[in-house]
Amino acid sequence: MFLRDLFKQGKFVITSEIGPPKGCEIEETLKEAEMIRGKVDAINVTDNQSSVMRFGSLATCHLLIEKGFDPVFQVVCRDRNRIALQSDILSAAGLGIKNLLLLTGDHPLLGDHPDAKPVFDLDSVSLIHVVKQLENGTDMMGNKLVGEPPKFCIGAVVSPCAEPLDPQLFKMEKKIKQGAEFFQTQAVYEPDKFAKFMDKVKSWNIPILVGIVILKSVGMAKYMNEKVAGVHVPDTLIEELKKDKEKTKSGQTGVEIAARLIKELKPLCQGVHLMPLGWTDKVPEILKLAEL
Amino acid sequence: MLITEIKPKEEFDIVLKDNLIIIICKGCKEIYLPVVDINNLINELKEKKIKFDTINVDYLCNHEYTKLRTINLKEKIDNADNILVFSCGVGVQVVSSYINKHVVAGCNTLYIHGFQGLTPFIINCEQCGQCFLNYTGGLCPITACSKSLLNGPCGGAKNGKCEIDPEKECGWEKIIDRLQKKNQIELLQIYQNPRKYSLK
Amino acid sequence: MDYTKFRLKPEQEIISVLKDKQNIVVLNCTKCFKEQDMNDQNECGELVPLLKKNNKKIIECIEIDFLCNRHQTEKLITKRTELIKDDITVIIYSCGFGIQAVTEIINKFSPKCEIYTVADTIPQDGHHGMALSIEKCDSCADCVLTYTGGICPVVNCSKGLLNGPCGGAKNGKCEISSDKDCAWEKIYNRLNSIGKIELGKQFFKIRKYSKPDYKTINNYNITIYEKRLQNFFGGVYPDENKEQTRNKQIIQFSIPKIVVLPLSQHTGAICEPLVKIGDKVYTGQKIGDIQSFISAPIHSPVTGKVVAIEPRKHPLIKKDVLSVVIESDNIDEYDVSVVPNNEWESLTKEELLNIIREKGIVGLGGAQFPTHVKLKSPKPIDTLVINGCECEPYLNSDYRIMVERPYSVIFGTLILMKILNVTKSYISIEDNKKEAIEIIKQKLDEFTNTNIEVIELKTKYPQGAERMLIKKLLGREIPIGGLPLDVGVVVNNVGTVSAVYDAVIKGLPLIRRVVTVTGENCINPGNYEIRLGTPIENVIDYCFGSEYKENNNKFILKMGGPMMGVEISGFDMPIIKGTTGLILLSKPDIEINLQRKCIKCGRCVDVCPMELFPLYFGLFTENKQYSEAEKYNVLSCIECGCCDYVCPSKRALVQSVKEIKKNLSVSKK
Repeated sequence: MFLRDLFKQGKFVITSEIGPPKGCEIEETLKEAEMIRGKVDAINVTDNQSSVMRFGSLATCHLLIEKGFDPVFQVVCRDRNRIALQSDILSAAGLGIKNLLLLTGDHPLLGDHPDAKPVFDLDSVSLIHVVKQLENGTDMMGNKLVGEPPKFCIGAVVSPCAEPLDPQLFKMEKKIKQGAEFFQTQAVYEPDKFAKFMDKVKSWNIPILVGIVILKSVGMAKYMNEKVAGVHVPDTLIEELKKDKEKTKSGQTGVEIAARLIKELKPLCQGVHLMPLGWTDKVPEILKLAEL
Repeated sequence: MLITEIKPKEEFDIVLKDNLIIIICKGCKEIYLPVVDINNLINELKEKKIKFDTINVDYLCNHEYTKLRTINLKEKIDNADNILVFSCGVGVQVVSSYINKHVVAGCNTLYIHGFQGLTPFIINCEQCGQCFLNYTGGLCPITACSKSLLNGPCGGAKNGKCEIDPEKECGWEKIIDRLQKKNQIELLQIYQNPRKYSLK
Repeated sequence: MDYTKFRLKPEQEIISVLKDKQNIVVLNCTKCFKEQDMNDQNECGELVPLLKKNNKKIIECIEIDFLCNRHQTEKLITKRTELIKDDITVIIYSCGFGIQAVTEIINKFSPKCEIYTVADTIPQDGHHGMALSIEKCDSCADCVLTYTGGICPVVNCSKGLLNGPCGGAKNGKCEISSDKDCAWEKIYNRLNSIGKIELGKQFFKIRKYSKPDYKTINNYNITIYEKRLQNFFGGVYPDENKEQTRNKQIIQFSIPKIVVLPLSQHTGAICEPLVKIGDKVYTGQKIGDIQSFISAPIHSPVTGKVVAIEPRKHPLIKKDVLSVVIESDNIDEYDVSVVPNNEWESLTKEELLNIIREKGIVGLGGAQFPTHVKLKSPKPIDTLVINGCECEPYLNSDYRIMVERPYSVIFGTLILMKILNVTKSYISIEDNKKEAIEIIKQKLDEFTNTNIEVIELKTKYPQGAERMLIKKLLGREIPIGGLPLDVGVVVNNVGTVSAVYDAVIKGLPLIRRVVTVTGENCINPGNYEIRLGTPIENVIDYCFGSEYKENNNKFILKMGGPMMGVEISGFDMPIIKGTTGLILLSKPDIEINLQRKCIKCGRCVDVCPMELFPLYFGLFTENKQYSEAEKYNVLSCIECGCCDYVCPSKRALVQSVKEIKKNLSVSKK
């Protein structure tokens, strides 16, 4: 299923994200996916997220397809050069993967292999461009592909609450120009900022899935405020997390906040992208509370 | 050592019209600047009767000089529509920081072996931060080997020449030769860890 | 700003590499590209305690400036080969260039010598320029600065992204460090402020890592390296700027109304006037002389009346110099002493020398040394070298003499060969004077067995300097403080040789000379044969016009060439025997100034043809440590100006040398 078909139908699209393990035993990850079978339209698989080396996104997506899920294959530019990227994208098509999320990727210094050589041979904009070329039947050097060319629905990312916002919009426009068909955003906790963002991109007519990250603790909120780009957890939410320690610890506060946010943001955009950071089991409840 | 080549004309064609200022930096005399190409361009502009001004400077990378010059030439710069700069990337960046107008780069910058200013070199140093020369008889594997391999040759060499260019010697064959001459060939057995790109 | 290139390796690594090695010699580079401070700490200081702590025996620790300067370092090391024996462990404490350079040098004479490095070169993002500034360039050979408001994303973006920010920035800082600005936010803001956001949006680029290819870079490498080392160590390639007057035939400049003849137009004792006010004088008449070995008489260049004998301004001497002022009749009536001599071959060596002295011939290349004194060498001479290099930019007087008066050059050379009793002579001409080379060769073919050879030399400044010339032509090195005669050579300028011909064969004393007048804003550039004593003002009026006089504060007027010429202020100076040229140059917009910091870039060392370390002359002058400069052979400096020419901090290095030399000679008295 191409996500674009769902957008065309006017459906409010729901996606969630799972991260493969640091190991080769993938069973747990597949079990995690089971927890949201039927509840979401597609499942993103992260690609060595945060520059931490893990089991590959491509292999995970393949196994998810075998189990009857619709994966979104996340591809970062950090680890592979243009040859390997094109190769993996062709492999993805061959394995039946239809949806891609193309992004730059965190710098290796942020992860557990800080000494790794940062590749970034392509960036997110050029990667989108290259995928379009593959869809047109040639590789990026113009060589013809053998057989039918791959077909994808290409997604990209944007940070709606980034400050300043303009550079994000600057790049977003470039991504759309090169062929991005939908966007999944960085975590949003401020509906008014998101509304301002949606106002600016309205005329581009591009489906936006707002990003929701479950707040697990006060510490996590504060960490994101300090360290994570484009994310701001307002004091009111931090207060809410502080108020009932047990409730927060059990995850209930986080679930409620997430659901509330989704309800408030739903009218503004075309879908939601959940990033449970391991709490995939809480996703069904969030969706229920958000009346999705 | 930075040298420059003039960009293909299409890349700055768009500014070759009236009210143009051309800044030419000849600071790194001796190093390299496409003087002939630039002069040809200027003659062309003269023939086409385009209104332009040429400002010859040196050491555009020097903030003190560039600041003073942009102040002295303020009126000319203010009245110009476009500013075309022939210098290395450092010069273009410095001058851009003083002129709040569109600055167009007229050159591509290339690197040839050696630190800026000092005598050009045949050998090279990649400033890796973790010098391997103690294990390679004083020949740098990162720069002598096209693939920057650290643990011996790749097997692509033909007649002692690297697979990327028949004129380039295989760096690792040179290293092995050097180690043999110094009776240090056992150093080759030592496993070299992959490079640390985090070093700064 | 500090572009320090290297740092000490971790102690463990050093010790594990050195293992059981004893007998250590340390070669330590004093580092480049940092603001030079005379109070710099001894670099060896970090390493020595570490080695001592680990019971290593340090035989010697040698500090070397610009270790990677192959030529200089090789000189130094080959002087100390006794130190670097096979059982010595050499430790090199420098960046990767230095280590590799020294290893190659030592390998030549001691291939088994164990050489180790104890330093790592510090990784940098991109390459810096010739100033200590923040901006760097990654030499990607595909500059995108046009589309990024002049801020480089390759160097400044941690991921090297070319198409916009990644989204990892927080508070304007990059995700890898809160100390680092997000380059793309800066780029965005700059594009905005110059109104070029649209352009930035249109821009799309994928980098091509295959460019530039190995061959291109290798060719540049080799070419530039060879060019730098061509002919002799050091030297520079200034713009020639000779086209303006290259093809201008020698024209007689009009006889002036008044001539002012300083009684010193030569090295040596000043002449005494032989005339008095009111005397009538004839063209070529001797009007000044002195019985001193090193001197040369002065002759009247015009026919007329002596109107004054008084101190007047001199272009080369600060104080006014006694001069004979003559008002001319505008008609040349030659003095009786001007007698041609067609049978020069029958004259003896002494007679020829006498003529040369009597006719006032001095070195016309600018040094003004009395020619007859040079020819009376106390040491044996086996070779005569005629200097037709004219390596200074702008000047063409020697060139035109060779082209238009080749016989005077050839005969003049034969005369000198007879005087010196040499069997071989070379006329050296730089290869930017192809016509002169052709003509002289052609005319030489008309003679049999002259033993005169024309040698074409690649153009490089200062190839015409005696030391460089003799080294290149004959492979002989003049000892420090010595002269060409010390190696059996006499060098004469082409103009001087032509004047010798005039003197011997035409009986003409030195009363006029060819001067190249040219430069910016020159309305009548040319090679003028001007009567000595002609006021410069006459030449300026004719050649530079009134615009120069009105705007002369925008220009510099130099007597000689731009590299070693003397700046003339004021128009009330005369043309003298040593005036090779009058060059009008735009005043530089940034003046040279010793106060700017030396950034220890090493370029002055690279270009000094005398293989000195000019940066120290500047530093010692700043600190008034004149005697220290002697240790760096300041007295060998030929003041050629190459160091001034390349100094990125525009420090007044030649001026410093002059100051040091003055102070040293004063203190010696």
